[in-house]
Amino acid sequence: MIENNKRTMTLNLTPREMAVLEQLASAKDLSKTGVMRLALRLLQAVDSKTRLGQKLMFEDEKSKEKSELVLL
Amino acid sequence: MTESRIYLQRAKTNKLVEASLLDEVTDRHLAMWEGSWCPAMEAYCEGRTAGNQPEDHHWDWKWKADEWRPLLGYHSFAIVCEKDLQGLMLVSDFKSARLRVQFGKPVVYVEFVATAPWNRPELRKPPRFRGVGTVMVAAAVELSWELGYRGRIGLHSLEAAERFYRDHCGMTKLGKDRGHQGLPYYEMTEKQAERFRQ
Repeated sequence: MIENNKRTMTLNLTPREMAVLEQLASAKDLSKTGVMRLALRLLQAVDSKTRLGQKLMFEDEKSKEKSELVLL
Repeated sequence: MTESRIYLQRAKTNKLVEASLLDEVTDRHLAMWEGSWCPAMEAYCEGRTAGNQPEDHHWDWKWKADEWRPLLGYHSFAIVCEKDLQGLMLVSDFKSARLRVQFGKPVVYVEFVATAPWNRPELRKPPRFRGVGTVMVAAAVELSWELGYRGRIGLHSLEAAERFYRDHCGMTKLGKDRGHQGLPYYEMTEKQAERFRQ
């Protein structure tokens, strides 16, 4: 369900942060707002898993080497 | 919660029947799942070996609901027709595409989708309604458009549903995913989504 009742906020970003946001928006084919929303949903999903004691792992497809991303 | 009018096909007469697609699975839907869907599934599975039971017979939608409800990145759908639950779907919106042409771009990922036992030809002949799977895939594609994902969707298919996703939905198979119980992974591109919507 997409909620239509939205609130506005001002987001102050450093030039580097803005550059990353613009790069991600281009790579993901999304607006900058879309990227921020995606980041929020992703962080909440990951946070809910790690709170349950699960780990976020990355695996190199070729070497099969695994690394854990530790969230603060 | 939004309710959209959709149509299912009554298998016995091939006539279209008005139904509702709801973009939120509520407690009422879960009660319907527990009250009629589960007993029908259990009755079919009784006495059958694991290999002869539907691949989704163990899915517990109530348990799943507790997991997804607090999370922004999950969306659930229910189809109701003639006061009975006909289908359920859960999708997420923060996973990335794997196909080369859209690699790294977000997709609506179908986590779980199921049609009610009485709509499955292997459980009931003739099934009650046809078209639940098509409506659910269409709902995932529409959500993808609304989110700005241009119709891109992805899913892991159970063996029994592969033909539907490949031939009916026109999705691209990317092979078996050993990180997902060896299930084949399918993806729909923007172009495929446009074709599917027509």
